[in-house]
Amino acid sequence: MFLEIKDLSVKIENKNILKSLNLNINKGEVHAIMGPNGSGKSTLANVLAGKEDYEILNGKIIFKDNDLFDLNIEERAQEGMFLAFQYPVEIPGVNITPFLHSAINSKRKRMNQDEIDNLSFAKLLKSKASDLGINIDMLKRSVNTGFSGGEKKRYEILQMSILNPDLAILDETDSGLDIDALKIVTDGVNKLKTKDNSFLIITHYQKLLDYIKPDYVHVMVNGSIVKSGGSEIAAEIEKDGFQKFQ
Amino acid sequence: MIIVNSETLNTLDSYSKNKYKYGFVTDIDSEKPRKGLNEKIIKYISSKKNEPSWLLEWRLSSFRKWKKMKEPDWANLNFPKIDYQDIYYYSAPKGFKDKPKDLSEVDPKLIETYNKLGIPLEEQKVLAGVAVDVVFDSVSVATTYKGELEKLGIIFCSIGEAIQKHPNLIKKYLGSVIPPGDHSFSALNSAVFTDGSFVYIPKNVKCPMELSTYFRINSENTGQFERTLIIADKGSYVSYLEGCTAPKRDDNQLHAANVELIALEDAEIKYSTVQNWYPGDEEGKGGIYNFVTKRGLCAGKNSKISWTQVETGSAITWKYPSCILKGDNSIGEFYSVAITNNYQQADTGTKMTHIGKNTKSKIISKGISLGKSQNTYRGEVTFLRKSDKARNYTQCDSLLVGNQCGAHTVPYIDSKNNTAVIEHEASTSKINEDQLYYCRQRGLSHEEAVSLIVNGFCKQVLQELPMEFAVEAQKLVSISLEGSVG
Amino acid sequence: MNILDNYQKNKKNIFFTENKDVQNYREKLLTIFENDRFDRKNNESLKNINLKNFFDFKYKYLVPEEISVINNYQDDNYSIVSINGQCSNFKDDKIEITKILDEDYNDFSKNNIIEKNDHFVNLNSLFLNSGFKIVIKKNNNIKIKISNIVTDDALTIFQKNNYFCEEGSSVSLIEEYENKNNSTSNILNVIKLEKNSKFNHFLIQDNSPNHNLIITSHSSCKKASTYNQKVYNFSEGYVRNFHYSKLLETNSEADLQGIFFLKDNNTSNNKTFVKHLAGECKSNQVYKGILNDRAKATYFSNTHVDQVAQKTEGYQLSKGILLSDNASYFSKPELKIYADDVKCSHGSTIGPIDENAIFYLRSRGMSKIAATKMLISSFINEELSSIDDEQMFQTIQKKLVRYLSKVK
Repeated sequence: MFLEIKDLSVKIENKNILKSLNLNINKGEVHAIMGPNGSGKSTLANVLAGKEDYEILNGKIIFKDNDLFDLNIEERAQEGMFLAFQYPVEIPGVNITPFLHSAINSKRKRMNQDEIDNLSFAKLLKSKASDLGINIDMLKRSVNTGFSGGEKKRYEILQMSILNPDLAILDETDSGLDIDALKIVTDGVNKLKTKDNSFLIITHYQKLLDYIKPDYVHVMVNGSIVKSGGSEIAAEIEKDGFQKFQ
Repeated sequence: MIIVNSETLNTLDSYSKNKYKYGFVTDIDSEKPRKGLNEKIIKYISSKKNEPSWLLEWRLSSFRKWKKMKEPDWANLNFPKIDYQDIYYYSAPKGFKDKPKDLSEVDPKLIETYNKLGIPLEEQKVLAGVAVDVVFDSVSVATTYKGELEKLGIIFCSIGEAIQKHPNLIKKYLGSVIPPGDHSFSALNSAVFTDGSFVYIPKNVKCPMELSTYFRINSENTGQFERTLIIADKGSYVSYLEGCTAPKRDDNQLHAANVELIALEDAEIKYSTVQNWYPGDEEGKGGIYNFVTKRGLCAGKNSKISWTQVETGSAITWKYPSCILKGDNSIGEFYSVAITNNYQQADTGTKMTHIGKNTKSKIISKGISLGKSQNTYRGEVTFLRKSDKARNYTQCDSLLVGNQCGAHTVPYIDSKNNTAVIEHEASTSKINEDQLYYCRQRGLSHEEAVSLIVNGFCKQVLQELPMEFAVEAQKLVSISLEGSVG
Repeated sequence: MNILDNYQKNKKNIFFTENKDVQNYREKLLTIFENDRFDRKNNESLKNINLKNFFDFKYKYLVPEEISVINNYQDDNYSIVSINGQCSNFKDDKIEITKILDEDYNDFSKNNIIEKNDHFVNLNSLFLNSGFKIVIKKNNNIKIKISNIVTDDALTIFQKNNYFCEEGSSVSLIEEYENKNNSTSNILNVIKLEKNSKFNHFLIQDNSPNHNLIITSHSSCKKASTYNQKVYNFSEGYVRNFHYSKLLETNSEADLQGIFFLKDNNTSNNKTFVKHLAGECKSNQVYKGILNDRAKATYFSNTHVDQVAQKTEGYQLSKGILLSDNASYFSKPELKIYADDVKCSHGSTIGPIDENAIFYLRSRGMSKIAATKMLISSFINEELSSIDDEQMFQTIQKKLVRYLSKVK
């Protein structure tokens, strides 16, 4: 199994957010999780990434034969887990290029690969950026600083394409995007898609799934997955909302 | 034109793997008179340097002033009383009766020392476009690129040499910005200064390369009291860099330098410091006491003086590079990064005194406290009566890493002019958890993430440094954070 | 006459002289006065003031006994006229007022004072000749108005008041200082807030040029209590406002705000100091001043965050407008922080009225003087609009209009 979430219960500040959640993802699959606000979708993304604010009450997560809870945030990232944040944080003064360069090299180091040198990295970055329609000038700026909502999301996808993760989690990547930006972002995701990597797409609306076709759709309500199936579920939600699942 | 060569980068790389790589001692014979401060030693220094009698008189009168003065006590610093009689006031590598004429005459051990420090002295190996004056203990040992500078009429030499060769400039400007009686450390320096650098840039000359002085304290129990004087004549420009290191020793060593800058009409001086004196060990033992007075006078109209400092070393830092904005439309700037770790204490900042009309000043200060250290920004902005339309902008931010340290901000703002505008902002916070999470999610280790974020926090200041210094400074910032994160 | 002579001469008339501890303490203070060099440059409490006025004064001790009036109307509203720092005893189920002389001094003297090196507080302790204690009883919500009146010329009032807010109580206190006599009031307020209590303190100062007012307060807050202070200084005489707050327990708050309007040769010294001694507390220190003619002002603010005071939020703002060539303003906003998980900041601006704004208003047809006045009003608009007591709002509005009428 590539990713296996078993009976996961999580709380934060005395509030139970995830309740006995189960989810399996195989290599090459695209899964979508849909759910109303406050259902625990973002919590799931952050627990997978290893954010330290949560208390794990019960359950197990296996990722690429590792017990995920044995790995800290950066080790998970180096193992190939990538979280595209819903609200990417601004880091003033930290330039994009060296930031990403350090990130890719720390991953390569863990994989026992040679570090990528300055010049090759700059080339790689430039070509990936132009694929995503990102202006080269933007690469001279500080991480997320002063970016518009759309720019931040596009920059998340750029990082994803550079780091080439095995499992990419997209947390509400569609929120705050207009239709043109959404197209660019989803195109970028589709280009990355191979038979060896998997995607977990978290979204509130069905619109995103018109552009990225999921193999499975799960409905999450109140901290558990209440229904799973194919993309027909998304259409169902689009029509009737989450009401009938609650 | 500045090119960072790969040798330097490699050297810098190797620094980052070691906490205080500069802590070695060079085994070199030195010539020292007895410890202690008295008129005799002052006369000894003066005669060693073959000084004119007016200068000896100046030194002695400074000494008499010093005897009557108390150390300034308003800083947020705690340290045992300095025993001025337990210090050597003069130390010279043996055989330095006359300064070597060229590098072939310099003791190979010295050259090796500087190579170890990443400051190769052979001109062909020196960073392209940087002329270096090297001060070892009390004596200037080498000045590179002298010939090239001379063609432009630029004087760049040790102050000892300038006293011999350019007595009129020395007589006119020495002590004109920092009077010996200003406070006890300026009086002390005026009495016993041994060497330092002298720069004169003639009218309308833009100095084509960075001028740099590298200070090294080697001998034990030796105080370093260098004196630097930079004069930028009308319409000229110079960028000057200063670096400092010292060996690891269990005793505290005193460093009390005076730096005077004078910018005449339309002239600009940019002065950058990367201060990395030995900070003491993790228990707070040893380290340099750094009591430095730096002051610039914007004497002429449209002149500009800009101070940039990266302060990571010293057990105690007491330092306020200041600008007196006398000429109309003159500009003063102060950019500072101060990092304190373990038991270090820093009380640093600036003084901007607006005298002329339309004068402008800008202060950007970034303080980072770690370990059990105390880090204080102290700054004074004064608008005098006649400083019509003067402006100041001050921003001082502090970052705390760990809850055993302290970060303090003490600005003094005094306005006596109703057309002048001052704006001041300050903030103190801990390192942002969301930023750390974000960086680590991209695969950076906790330590790397902290270093990256802190470097980002300092960027506004670091980008003011000349390029090769900026690289060194960034590494230094990272090294200074080591061991305190986790 | 100097301090020592004054003290010797009036010793028997000063309060609590018979108490041995008090006497010993006063002897100690006297030696401090004798040995101090009165270094005005480095002692914040002395900056910009004429020492002669305060340390070499003509001392008229005998405070005439007048009966103060305490009215209780509409149930929760109390109105007090305090004459020469005195107040009669009063008691009901919500409030208890006691003359200082009827109190146990040992209990009364527990000051909790932060700053030791303050000569004016020392003078107050030395010459104490008036004051009272007010207790607001548990879970009551009341409003008090105190008018402070000094009856005679050359009278010097050394007054100490203790306020004690019992658990869950809430009080809104409006104090007015409007004195026309050639006299000095040196007042020390010690305010203690128990758990969940709240104190809204308004000080309206409007003395004539020959009256000096020195007012110092020390408030301390226990768990989840709040001390809010607003100072409105329209005085034409010297005023010193030094206010200290200690946040002793979690979730407590202190908000120290002031505005001052100075003209002619007047001087005002201001200081606020908040000491965070527990986590999750908030503080605000905001002073704004308008200075005209040859007026001088200082404002010192300080946020001190103790090592245990995690999750502190501290904010400081100091703003000054200089209307004249000869006015001067000194500000020192300090942060002293020993805890790492904090959000503290300060801002400070000093300058003339924004010329672009003046230009804008004039281009809309307003005269320069009207534009200036409008911008001054807007500068302190926030402070004025937050007043919810209609009568007080009117009072302050009137004083503002009076000040603006002198602006040219």
